[in-house]
Amino acid sequence: MDVAFIIETIVKIVVILLVFSALAGFGTYFERKVLAFMQRRLGPMHVGPYGLLQVAADGIKLFTKEDIIPQNVVKPIFKLAPVITAATAFMAAAAIPFWPEFTAFGYKVHPIVADVNVGILYVMAVMAIGLYGPLLGGMASANKFSLISAARSAAVFISYEVITGLALLAPLMMVGSLSLIDINNYQTGGISNWIAVSQPVAFILFWIAAFAETGRTPFHLVANDHEIIDGFGTEYSGMRWGLFFIGEYANMFFISFVMAIIFLGGYGDGSIAGALQLLLKVAFFFFFFLWTRAAWPDIRPDQLMWLCWKVLMPIAVVNVVITGVVILIKQGGM
Amino acid sequence: MFEAIAFYLFAALTIAMFTITVMTSQALYALTAMAAGMIFISAFFFILGADFLGVIQIIVYTGAVMALYAFGMMFFDTTRTVVEKRDNPRVIFILGVLAATLVVFILVSPIISTHIEANYPINAAMGNSETIGLILFTKFLVPFEIAAVMLLVAMIAGIVLAGKKMDKSLTLMAEEEIALMSATQAKPETEEGAH
Amino acid sequence: MHVEPFTDRNVSEQSAYYYVDIENYPVTGWDKFKQVVKRSIKGELFVGLWVVMRELIKFDIHTVQYPKEKLPIGPRYRAVHKLLRLWESGFERCIGCGLCEKICISDCIRMDTRIDENSRKEVTEYSINLGRCIFCGYCAEVCPELAIVHGDRYENASEQRAHFVIKDDMLTPLDFLTSGQQKEYPGFGAITPHEDERVAKTPLAY
Repeated sequence: MDVAFIIETIVKIVVILLVFSALAGFGTYFERKVLAFMQRRLGPMHVGPYGLLQVAADGIKLFTKEDIIPQNVVKPIFKLAPVITAATAFMAAAAIPFWPEFTAFGYKVHPIVADVNVGILYVMAVMAIGLYGPLLGGMASANKFSLISAARSAAVFISYEVITGLALLAPLMMVGSLSLIDINNYQTGGISNWIAVSQPVAFILFWIAAFAETGRTPFHLVANDHEIIDGFGTEYSGMRWGLFFIGEYANMFFISFVMAIIFLGGYGDGSIAGALQLLLKVAFFFFFFLWTRAAWPDIRPDQLMWLCWKVLMPIAVVNVVITGVVILIKQGGM
Repeated sequence: MFEAIAFYLFAALTIAMFTITVMTSQALYALTAMAAGMIFISAFFFILGADFLGVIQIIVYTGAVMALYAFGMMFFDTTRTVVEKRDNPRVIFILGVLAATLVVFILVSPIISTHIEANYPINAAMGNSETIGLILFTKFLVPFEIAAVMLLVAMIAGIVLAGKKMDKSLTLMAEEEIALMSATQAKPETEEGAH
Repeated sequence: MHVEPFTDRNVSEQSAYYYVDIENYPVTGWDKFKQVVKRSIKGELFVGLWVVMRELIKFDIHTVQYPKEKLPIGPRYRAVHKLLRLWESGFERCIGCGLCEKICISDCIRMDTRIDENSRKEVTEYSINLGRCIFCGYCAEVCPELAIVHGDRYENASEQRAHFVIKDDMLTPLDFLTSGQQKEYPGFGAITPHEDERVAKTPLAY
């Protein structure tokens, strides 16, 4: 194997890890600020200018806190669970093209770690493994609230995997490829080519499922503070708890990237303007995660299941069938 | 060289994981090791260049093992070790070893007799996932559809079994209604007993 | 919204419980579906989104950054006590009558007096145990000279109990008095404004 290739890949991995763990930290800052402004508060103000160094303070706090492992927990699993969440969140980033190809110092850079031709499936699969973190953490904690949280995360996972898959199926039938770069290139040439325009139903469904997968507010039942304390995180302390947090926020960023690339045209034709557009779209999706947290109530687990199996899944199936028929008619097969 | 290293690494990991699955008496260890083993198996598909199958392996088995976790949660206290009841350990041991050797023999014999060649080698122009689709919907269409129908039957059966009295809620019903319901439920059994 | 007065309960006629209109709970699947469709199309979710977005744009922050900013307190607020001085002479107003000590319901005021060389009664020691004080204001109300009053210092955390108020802390320092920083106490027990107009002369006719 080419040495240059290996070095390039390692550099990319390090850059992605650094950028997104920092972004995950700043994600918490943005969330606190946005929520505060929407609730007529100021949010963090005391550490650094406008509270910007609050992230660093929190990081120092989490790192130096005692790592408590309670009695009666299943120790290896308890220790492993937060690592799964954080690690899989970053593993999923391997197949995401963050930026169009560009040339730096006469060297052509593909800002994607591994351009596998089943990119989107890989991303969804690894994000699915990420849900093992809450599940294992909850089951190993020897705490009733954690166990309830684990049961809920299993239920959410099993149901919303179906929605994600079926919602993705229709756009993938149109594109005919599972590679995120191919999906992006399919949509070049203006807003009318975006898949969100031709597949609005799939877009909305995927968006809803993204909320369930990242466990954000309308579907925040995995760690709903007013019912089950912190759910799977109840028994955790220090950096192990922080890893769950980093995983959650990194996941939010990555799923925003995936949504922007699949449905909103990604980076377009690969120009600088297109790349900036991609960042704007990602910022919008991330902001929307925070926005809904300020505005919407949480729903009950039974409502979540009802919504998934009796509303979203039939719509998704019908959408897939209609897409298939339309593609057949267009190809003149009927 | 990288492929060889990866192969031996993942082979060792997979074997270790499934050994834990079999040997441990702690439900949570067993389930987690099984999930990890299933994910490590997908590494072999990736090494062989079958990306699609590898990813499908991850997606399918994370979901399947997640369902197993749900069952584990319902049946055990997963933070305690399960005390298994073994009436005749010798029979279990002999049967287990026999089954294992049989499986190994069945899988290894074609490799020893003739060198295996891929019936459908990876077509660089088409890509792996398209080849799989083509084969599934041409040569293996009938088994594929039969499997689909069987899964549909299983799904409908599951819904029918679980869906009985789903419109009734014990928490919303009055005491008398619950008593009435359990009385009518118990009635046919007593009638049968009388005959 | 409708009003339903509860006449058969021990609730006054004027006050009544306000009931928020709650729709009938959907029973059948079709009803539930209709409810979901209605809620989706009515855009209640988007109203919520708009409301919080409006607040974000208006940026009408209501936070008081406490140690830097403080809210004004009412003139009748009862915080840590103060001992005032006479305006002209600068003597202590306290005449050592002991009424505050007597009336204090949590028994936290202690005073010691002696007759000084001018044969005036002098207060040698005056302390209020703020750890016990419930800030009821009786001492300020009962004081005939308006000597002990409630101040506006409400941050009374301390490292030692001994720091809780002794006479020197409460008494207005002389330089404060001369620079006009001692304010006449308008609060609990003080004379109300425009009292002069309201005072009628004692009729001497009888």
